[in-house]
Amino acid sequence: MKTLSAFITVLAALAAFAWWVSTPPAISPTSSTVHPVADPAKVKGRVNVWAWNIAAKALNKLAPEFEKTHPAVDVRVDMTGARMQSRLLLALASGVGAPDVSQFELNDALRYIATGRLADLTPVAAKYKDRFPANLWKNCVNKDGKVYAIPWDMGPCAVYYKRGLFQKYGIDPDKIETWDDYIEAGKTILQKSGGRTKLLPLGANSLRILYEIMMQQNGGQVFDDQDRITINSPQSQEVLGILKRIREAGIYSEVAMWSQEFMAGFNSDTIASYPMAVWFAGTIKDTVKDFSGEKQVWGVFRLPAIKPGGTRYSNYGGSVLVIPAQSKNKEAAWQFVEYALCTVEGQVAQYKSMSLYPAYLPALSHATFDEPDPFFGGQRVGRFFSEGVTQIQALNRTPAWTEAFRYIDQALSQWAATGMPTAGFFANLEQKLQRRLGMEISPSSLSKVGRR
Amino acid sequence: VAARARQDRWAEVRRYRHFYLFISPFFILFAIFGLYPLLFSLYLSFVKWDGLTDQVWIGLGNFAAMLDDEVLQKSLWNTLIIGLLYIPPMLVLAFLFAQLLNLQWLKLRALYRAAFFLPCVTPMVVIAIVFGLFFSSERGLLNFALTSVNERLPFLGLKPIPWVVSEQWSKVAVAILVMWRWTGYNMVLMLAGLQGISEEYYEAASIDGAGPWQRMRHITLPLMRPTFRFCLILSILGTVYMFDEIFILTRGEPGTSSTNFGLYLFNISFQDFRFGYASCVAYSVALVLFVGALLINRRNRSDVEAAAA
Repeated sequence: MKTLSAFITVLAALAAFAWWVSTPPAISPTSSTVHPVADPAKVKGRVNVWAWNIAAKALNKLAPEFEKTHPAVDVRVDMTGARMQSRLLLALASGVGAPDVSQFELNDALRYIATGRLADLTPVAAKYKDRFPANLWKNCVNKDGKVYAIPWDMGPCAVYYKRGLFQKYGIDPDKIETWDDYIEAGKTILQKSGGRTKLLPLGANSLRILYEIMMQQNGGQVFDDQDRITINSPQSQEVLGILKRIREAGIYSEVAMWSQEFMAGFNSDTIASYPMAVWFAGTIKDTVKDFSGEKQVWGVFRLPAIKPGGTRYSNYGGSVLVIPAQSKNKEAAWQFVEYALCTVEGQVAQYKSMSLYPAYLPALSHATFDEPDPFFGGQRVGRFFSEGVTQIQALNRTPAWTEAFRYIDQALSQWAATGMPTAGFFANLEQKLQRRLGMEISPSSLSKVGRR
Repeated sequence: VAARARQDRWAEVRRYRHFYLFISPFFILFAIFGLYPLLFSLYLSFVKWDGLTDQVWIGLGNFAAMLDDEVLQKSLWNTLIIGLLYIPPMLVLAFLFAQLLNLQWLKLRALYRAAFFLPCVTPMVVIAIVFGLFFSSERGLLNFALTSVNERLPFLGLKPIPWVVSEQWSKVAVAILVMWRWTGYNMVLMLAGLQGISEEYYEAASIDGAGPWQRMRHITLPLMRPTFRFCLILSILGTVYMFDEIFILTRGEPGTSSTNFGLYLFNISFQDFRFGYASCVAYSVALVLFVGALLINRRNRSDVEAAAA
């Protein structure tokens, strides 16, 4: 008995110690705001940047240009891999070790903003509000209207297609106006190719991507503006109907996004088109080199509309830059972020070096976007994607966005595996989201409206 | 008297302090990297915490939430099914292979052993690409084979199988991958077990006129029982905490039909940042497993004692 109580005492003491060690230091709110400086050219010190892949390469190429006008600042870009998120999470939680500038995916931004561990950029960045598309800016601002992130690149969507295949099967992309036209084209291709050529990849495990693109296009929402669940809407149901028609027509290829077959499809006649965002062009160009098969001449056409005359614009992906509150050199960090993201020069340089498509609207009027692209048969792809970006509907992303989309993903893959029962699909999904996320269902949701 | 004894003990500790110093690195490292996380996650079981904002004490709230977490229940159920699908055939196969490779007259035994062991030292990324191509619904190797056989022998009625896109088959696909990957490992363990059985037993049995089947039944199988149990415990634990195989092959989909406990734990902790709840779930399941392993082990010990007697 005595040893047991001694054991419990020691255990409790150790647990208390663990708690004490783990409690992070509080950050005072005043020091976590970035204020304008009198002479921007005079800022100095080291600025550490974390970013991934081509984004890091683009910033790395930009750093020397920035240092020309800010000679006392030393920008170091650390290209981090897949572990960046967890490293950053650890650094933010412990209060030490975070960089001065970090990249986030647009989807994730609000989740990190909600933690209060990022620097408030409102005094220096509020003036840029109108120079970014509203749908992107919305993800950089918290409920009180304070700015915590700056949009970097964006992902306006369209359909990439292989010119040769469309010609061979007599499909005119200009005649495709709605998703139903698109499905008809798919049926023609399927029939004329003897079942070999599928119109698009739409694996059961990747349905959420096209769902998100089409839902945003159709003016649908997952959450209303007060963080309540409203996925059960006519807009969502229309999208689900289109997904169902695509799958029932048998015109899709059952491959997961980014899988070997998905990528190998770039150079083969098994897949004729890919509905995706502007950054996907870089992926195609980069990948076709590594796969065997005949190289194609590509083209892009507008996203088909949900209904005749409906909008043909949507956005998928994009990223932002933030300054962690613990950064010791926020003023210099901001100077770099401002140069990279809020100037035509900085954004155009990154578009030229790494094809990052600028979210900064003034940059899009630069002449470089008017250049014809030989890879796309001389189409002016840069200009093409810039049209309509301001009309893209803003999504009410919440800190729970990533988690919500995992449940949506699971529900859609299960839906596809069990014969696509549309009745009650969104009502059930809404129930699940409510249970898992602990969020209310919006009065505007069909499940509520129906019950009234 | 007690005080006196304690004094003596401390005197002894002081006298041998150098030895304590020499063994201290392990204890220090263990305290930091083993004991501390263990205790911290025990504490986390009672709080709500996303890793960044303040921890909120919610007492037994996490445990209550576990009771109506249908994804947790589904993932435990999936773990059980996947385990049942692959553990029995894997252990049988491993035992058969171990028997074969234990034959004295077999040539190139070292080569076979290495070949069987190869899957568990192959990087998971490579395995994922290859098995992705095997299991692909449209142009995968397995379905290609099924369709080809069907063209020649239509009466068998073979159809392509939606390996990773059906709720039933996704578990089978995972089970096949896991079985392929870990049979060799278990075979090596069993081979060691077989070689640990003294030849004398077999000689004595032969002299008494025991045939191969009797030798197997009365010598090999009983003496291998501790090895079987060990392999079984390892496989059960491996199934519960398996992660990379499933994450790479199906990501736990379609729905949550191939999500096992390990993937579920990854999702709620490193995807959703619900560290408090994740700790609570991990502790609870670990406790159940611990008790289970203890029970298996206790039987094991009585077996060993019986064998020794």
